[in-house]
Amino acid sequence: MKPALSIVFFTVASGAGLGLLALLALADLCPVPLLSPAALPRGIAVALLLIAAGLASSVLHLAKPSNAWRAFVRVRTSWLSREAVLAALLFPLAFVYLVAVSFDSAGMARVLLAILVCALAWGLLFCTAMIYASLKPIRQWRTGWTPAAYLLLGHWSGALLAVALASGYGGEPMAWAWVAAALGAAALVAKLGYWRHGAADRGGKSALTIEQAIGVPQGVRPPGVSVAQARLFDAGHTQRTFLTDEFVFRIARQHAQALRGAALALGFAIPLLWLATGPRHWAAALSVAVLALVGLLAERWLFFADARHTVRLYHGDART
Amino acid sequence: MKLGLLIDLDTCVGCHACATACKEWNGASSVSGPLSDYQPFGAEPSGVWLNRVRHYEVGDYPASKTINFPMSCLHCEDADCVSVCPTGASYKRADGIVLVDQDKCMGCNLCAWACPYGARELDQSTGTMKKCTLCVDRIYDVLLPPEDRQPACVMACPTHARMFGDFDDPHSEVSRVSAERGGFGLLPELGYAPVNRYLPPREPKPLPGVDDARALLERGLASLASPVIRR
Repeated sequence: MKPALSIVFFTVASGAGLGLLALLALADLCPVPLLSPAALPRGIAVALLLIAAGLASSVLHLAKPSNAWRAFVRVRTSWLSREAVLAALLFPLAFVYLVAVSFDSAGMARVLLAILVCALAWGLLFCTAMIYASLKPIRQWRTGWTPAAYLLLGHWSGALLAVALASGYGGEPMAWAWVAAALGAAALVAKLGYWRHGAADRGGKSALTIEQAIGVPQGVRPPGVSVAQARLFDAGHTQRTFLTDEFVFRIARQHAQALRGAALALGFAIPLLWLATGPRHWAAALSVAVLALVGLLAERWLFFADARHTVRLYHGDART
Repeated sequence: MKLGLLIDLDTCVGCHACATACKEWNGASSVSGPLSDYQPFGAEPSGVWLNRVRHYEVGDYPASKTINFPMSCLHCEDADCVSVCPTGASYKRADGIVLVDQDKCMGCNLCAWACPYGARELDQSTGTMKKCTLCVDRIYDVLLPPEDRQPACVMACPTHARMFGDFDDPHSEVSRVSAERGGFGLLPELGYAPVNRYLPPREPKPLPGVDDARALLERGLASLASPVIRR
């Protein structure tokens, strides 16, 4: 799949924002104050900015954004529609919540808002992941690892931002560091699980072949031959098409490995190691969070670049 | 109703007439037109097509065969392109035709991602998704003579390798021929239940060998002459 930069940025930025928002709401529900009254509203504002920037970027992906308002009507079947509806619900609620937190209001309303905002953030993250995990033609994505990785990576990058908030504006940076480390480890497991699943699936029995795609088992073969291999002879066009641009994206193996290394180092290894070392300064915490987000951009770019769509069989790939 | 195409891989010669006829009709159609071209006279001409013909080699020489393989929307019964569409622009009609409402499409590409067959192409100039309409503006046009109420690709095919009809009706020509010749749908593994059917190549009749040639000579060359000439 072609890694559209607008979508790569959208999923990473919104993911971090939603993870941060969910964590802040949970922290607000926690009886022990994990963030100072100064840090919490600032955190919510940062989270909303990240989510808004991501959603704005996702609109850039649309070829006809003037029709984007129509995307709310098919919630019954479309994960993209569900995502749009949840996003539209999240913003007003989160804004009211931000106001409540800013005025440090106590009471049931704030608790209720925190629960609602957290649930909406989780729902939104899950919808984004399910857009990809529900697509049958892309086998690498059709696994529980996809939503697991999206949810955990969002919370992992959000937790790193929370560490920076707690160090800068007051709170419990050590507690946040523990939360972040646990989420980081879980996210790493989910991503490694996703990659393992993809590697195992590629050679697996259920992988589709070019022969299946053009009906060799159903009789599309030379007379008197029972088993035959097929190959593309001519694609019928001399230049790129929408299909080759969108689906027949190829990435050199060494580039993929270099990017995977960068994703692992920047996205996981360096932030986790930094969390293991003692005292924290807000500037260092923020730099590490930004570094992790850069690593996740590489990870997300690979998520698309590595995925192989069934259409590639018709363009000559031997297997999906 | 399950309107669709029956494509004969035995007689298709891969001439691309169906694809160009499709482009010609639908490019000027109000249902999904225009079908934009990018740099049509430049170094890298490209554009939107609703029907593409690819060519495959199956088996190894000398036991190999070239298969010409036209592909357009298969009008699946279980069409994921319709269910993933967030705007409701993609829809399936009661007669089985899957269409894109060009006024509602926002060009998010998700339907193209959900289609395993590559049947949908985004038109960069209109920003909307384009796909085979089964020439819905031909097949119901009562001003056309009945024999012309067929998709442009079917009308254009010089070897009659394409047939159009209702697969829901077991007595229709497409259902009958498909049953007779082992018509199959593409990638049943994915569960989209495509309506369009493909006919595998026939087993060829054995070529006349040396013995056959001798027998022919014995019967006299006259028997080879066409009845028309003899008369």
